[in-house]
Amino acid sequence: MALDRTVTATPSRIEGFDRAIPVWLLAAGALLLLILLPLGWLAYMSVSGERGLTLAHYARVFTDPRLGRALWNTVVLAFWSGLLSLAIGAPMAWLTARTDLPGPRLMRSLVMASFVTPPFLGAFAWVMLAGPNAGYLNKVYRSLTGSPDPLVNIFTMPGLIFVVALYTFPYAYIMVVNTLELIASDMEEAAAILGASRVWVAVTITLPMVLPAILSGFILSVLQALALFGSPAILALPAGFHTITTQIWALFQYPPKMEMAAAFSMPLLLATALLLFAQKRILGRRGYAAVGGKGGQRRRIPLGLWRYPALGACLTVMACAVFLPYGMLAKAAFARAWAQPLTGENLTLANWPLVFMSTSTRAAIVNTLELGLLTACVGAALAALLAYVTSRKLIAGHQILAFLVLTPVVIPGVVLAVGLFIAYTRPPFLLYGTLWILFLAYLTKEMPVGYTQSDATFRGIHPELEDAGRILGAGRLTVLRDITAPLARSGIIAAWCFVFIGVIRELSASILLFTPNTKVMSVVIFDLKEEGEFGAIAVLGLFMLAMTFATVLTMQGLLGRDVLGARPSSGGSG
Amino acid sequence: MPGVRIKGLVKRYGDVGAVDGLDLEVKPGELVALLGPSGCGKTTTLRVVAGFLKPDAGEVWVGERCLSSAATVIPPERRRMAMIFQSYALWPHMTVAQNVAYGLKFAGVPRSERDRRVKAMLQVVQLPGYEGRYPGELSGGQQQRIAVARALVVEPEILLLDEPLSNLDASLREEMRFEIRRLHEAFNITTLYVTHDQAEAMVIADRVAVLDRGRVAQIGSAEELYEAPSSRFVAEFIGKTNLVEGRAEDADTFTRGRLRIRLDGAGLSPGAPTILSIRPHQVELRPVTSDDPARPPLGALRGAVLRASYLGDAVDYQVEIADSDVVLRVAGPAAPRLRAGDAIWLRVLHGRALPP
Repeated sequence: MALDRTVTATPSRIEGFDRAIPVWLLAAGALLLLILLPLGWLAYMSVSGERGLTLAHYARVFTDPRLGRALWNTVVLAFWSGLLSLAIGAPMAWLTARTDLPGPRLMRSLVMASFVTPPFLGAFAWVMLAGPNAGYLNKVYRSLTGSPDPLVNIFTMPGLIFVVALYTFPYAYIMVVNTLELIASDMEEAAAILGASRVWVAVTITLPMVLPAILSGFILSVLQALALFGSPAILALPAGFHTITTQIWALFQYPPKMEMAAAFSMPLLLATALLLFAQKRILGRRGYAAVGGKGGQRRRIPLGLWRYPALGACLTVMACAVFLPYGMLAKAAFARAWAQPLTGENLTLANWPLVFMSTSTRAAIVNTLELGLLTACVGAALAALLAYVTSRKLIAGHQILAFLVLTPVVIPGVVLAVGLFIAYTRPPFLLYGTLWILFLAYLTKEMPVGYTQSDATFRGIHPELEDAGRILGAGRLTVLRDITAPLARSGIIAAWCFVFIGVIRELSASILLFTPNTKVMSVVIFDLKEEGEFGAIAVLGLFMLAMTFATVLTMQGLLGRDVLGARPSSGGSG
Repeated sequence: MPGVRIKGLVKRYGDVGAVDGLDLEVKPGELVALLGPSGCGKTTTLRVVAGFLKPDAGEVWVGERCLSSAATVIPPERRRMAMIFQSYALWPHMTVAQNVAYGLKFAGVPRSERDRRVKAMLQVVQLPGYEGRYPGELSGGQQQRIAVARALVVEPEILLLDEPLSNLDASLREEMRFEIRRLHEAFNITTLYVTHDQAEAMVIADRVAVLDRGRVAQIGSAEELYEAPSSRFVAEFIGKTNLVEGRAEDADTFTRGRLRIRLDGAGLSPGAPTILSIRPHQVELRPVTSDDPARPPLGALRGAVLRASYLGDAVDYQVEIADSDVVLRVAGPAAPRLRAGDAIWLRVLHGRALPP
C-alpha cells in the first residue's frame, strides 16, 4: 500500500482542457528566466574573449597574486568563522535544549535576534566598539589602564572572523538544537541503565546522533561566511585585504572588468555548490528520521555549580552579538559625536530628522519598501505556486522544478548580481538602472526561503483534503480556492515575511546593481560609511531593525512558533 | 441505479505494475470489497475509479458511461461519486455543517434545501446538533461519521471507501463495520470498499474480490471464498489454513511420501501435483487410549501433540503426523484436553485440493 499512498493525484490529460496548466507552465518559465538566464550569461562571459571562447580569464584569476590572496583570505575567513560558529552554537544549543540553564527561552529569543540582525549593521557597530582609535571598548581600556595601545583592533583578520561568526553561529545553533530536541531522553537512559556513565553516554549516544547536525551546521555557517559582502567590505578593506566578494565588487568599479568578475565568481559558485551538496549528503544518510522523530520525554540535565558560569558565557556571547552592538547603534543615533560620552550636551535628536528629511535617503527608504513589498508579494505568490505544483506533482518534470527553485541557495548575492548585470544590460532585457533589476535579484535570491516555507505548508495539507473536494464536485481551481488556500494562508504569509526581511536587509547583490536613482537603504548605509556619518548609519540601522523585528513578530504570531524552528536554507547575507 | 464495470485495467508506476489487467463487475446496489495485502493494487484501482488516476490501459464504465480509458478521463468532479478516505479528509477550517453541505452546492441543491438535508443526514449518522462544531473538536469515531454524512448527503451514484476504518481503535472499528453495513442496506448505493482486513470485508461486503499482484484472484461471497478458495493465495489470505504439498493418487486419495489421506468425493485429478488446504477446525483429534485396537480407526492417522495453547473457547494444537514431515495447526474443542506429547489419532474431515 506504501506505493499507492505516495503517488497521489496525477491527473495528466484530463478530458477537455485543464485551465490550470498554463498557470503552472508560466511559473516554470519565470523560474528558468530568473535563474538560468543570469547563470548562463555568467558562464558564457567567463569564457568569452575577443575572438571566440577562451580560458584566459580563468588563467588570470588563478595566477594573479592579488586574486590568489583574496581567494586564500576567503578560505581562511570561511573556515575559521565556521569553526567559531560551531564552538559558540553547538554548546549553546546543548545548554538551552538539554540542561537546566536559566532562561532557555530568553536565550533562544536572543539567538533569533542575532539571526535576523543584518551582519553589516553588526560590523558597523563593531567598528564603533573596537576600532583601534575611537572604538568605545578601546577607549574604556585605555582610560582604565593608561596604556597607549588599543586592547583590540577589529580591522584585522581575527577581528573580521569574530564579527562574522557572531552572526553566522545561529545557523550552527539551529541545526544542533533542532536535532537535540528530537532525541528522546529514553535513548540516553537506555544506555545509562546498561551502566554507562554520563560522559560515556554523551560520547557514545548523544554525540553520534547529533554529529550530522554539527557537521551540517558547520557547513551552513561556512556558506554564510563565504557569501558575505558587507562585513569584509567594512572590516577587511580598511585593513588592506580583500575576500572574493569584495574583490568581485572591486573588479566592478570603473573601469569594469566584467569577464574577470565572471571568471572569479565561478570558484565561489563551485565552492558553495559543493558544500551544500556535502551538507545534504551528511544529513541525508542518517538524517532526522534516524533521530527517532517522536520527541519523547526529555529530562534536563542539572548543571550544578556550572549553572551560572554557563549562563554567564552565553550572555557574554549575546552581549557581543546583540547588546553591545544595539547599544552602540542606539548611542550613536542620539549623539552629536558618537565617540563621546552621552552627556547632556552630546545628546541630540538631530540625527533623526536629518536622515528622514534628506531626499536621497527618503528615496532609498521608499525604494526599499517598494521593493520589499513587491518582491514579497510576487515571491510569496510564485513560491506558493511552485510549491503547490511540486508537492502535488502536477506537471511532468516537477522534480527538476523543485531542484531549480532551490538552486539560488548556492548563488552568493555578489555572484548573482554579476550574472544579472551581464544579462540585463543588453537587449532584449535592458533593466540596468531601474528598480526591476533589483527586483529580479531579490526575487531570485529569496526564492529558496519562500519556497521552503511554502513547501512545508503544502506538505502539511493532506492531499486527501483536496481529493475529497474534487470527488464531491469541485474543480481543481475551486478546490484551490475553497480548501487549499484557506489552509495554507498563514504559512504563505509567513513565507511573505521571510522574503520581506530578506529584501530590506539585502546588500551583497544591491551593491553591484544600484544606480544613483535606485539606491536602497543598505546601499545608503554603506555609502554613509565613506562619509563617516555614523549617526545617520545608526538611525537608518535602527529603523531597519525595527522593521525586521515587527515582521518577525507578525510571523511568529502566524506560525505559532519562532523563526528558528524552520531550517534556514538561506537567511540572506549582508 | 448504475453498476460499475472495470475491464482490463492496467496502471503502472514507472516499471512497477500496480494494477495489471484487472476485471471486476459491481452490480447495481451491490457492495463489493477489494481485499488484499499491501501493494496488491486495491487503492490504485479505487483511485482510478474515482478519476484521480489515469489508467495505462483498460476502461472503467458506470452504467452506460465510459468514465476512464487510456485516452480520456472524466475528472472526479463530474463522476457523481462520493468517497470516504482513510484520513477522513474533513476540512479543518469548516464547521461540520459546512463540510457536509459542501458537495450539495455542486449538486445544484438550492440553499434552502441544503440545511434541511444536512440536518437530516446528521440524524442518520447519529450526530444531530453537531452542525456548528469544527472537526478538530470531534473524536475519531465522530469524524468518521461526519465523513460518511458528507459522502452520503449528495446521494452519489457510486460510493467509494478507502480503508475508512483503519484509523479507529479495535472496538470502535467493529461498531462502525455494522454501521456501514446498516447504511448500505438503507441507501443501497453501489459501493466499492477497499480494505486489507478480511474480517471487515466479510462483515460488510455482499461480495469480496481478493486482489493479488494487481489482478482479481477470486471474487465471491465470504462463504464461497472460505469454503472454496480457487488458489493457494486465496486459501491462505482468507482465514487460517494448513497447506500440504503432494499429489493425487486417485480421485479420493492425496499422497505425500508415505502419507496417504483419504478424502471422499474430493474429485482429485489422478497423478497431478496438488496442494491440499486443510482448515484447522476440519481435523478431528482423539487421544490414543490403551483399549484402542492396534489398528487405527477407519481413515485415521497416527500422530502426536507438539504444542497445545488454551484459548478459552478452543485449544490451538500443533500436531505432527507420524512417519511424515507434516505438522498441522488444529483448532480442537476445550474438552477433552490433550497435552503436549500425547499420542493421538487424527482424521481429516475435509480438505480442498488446490492447483500448485
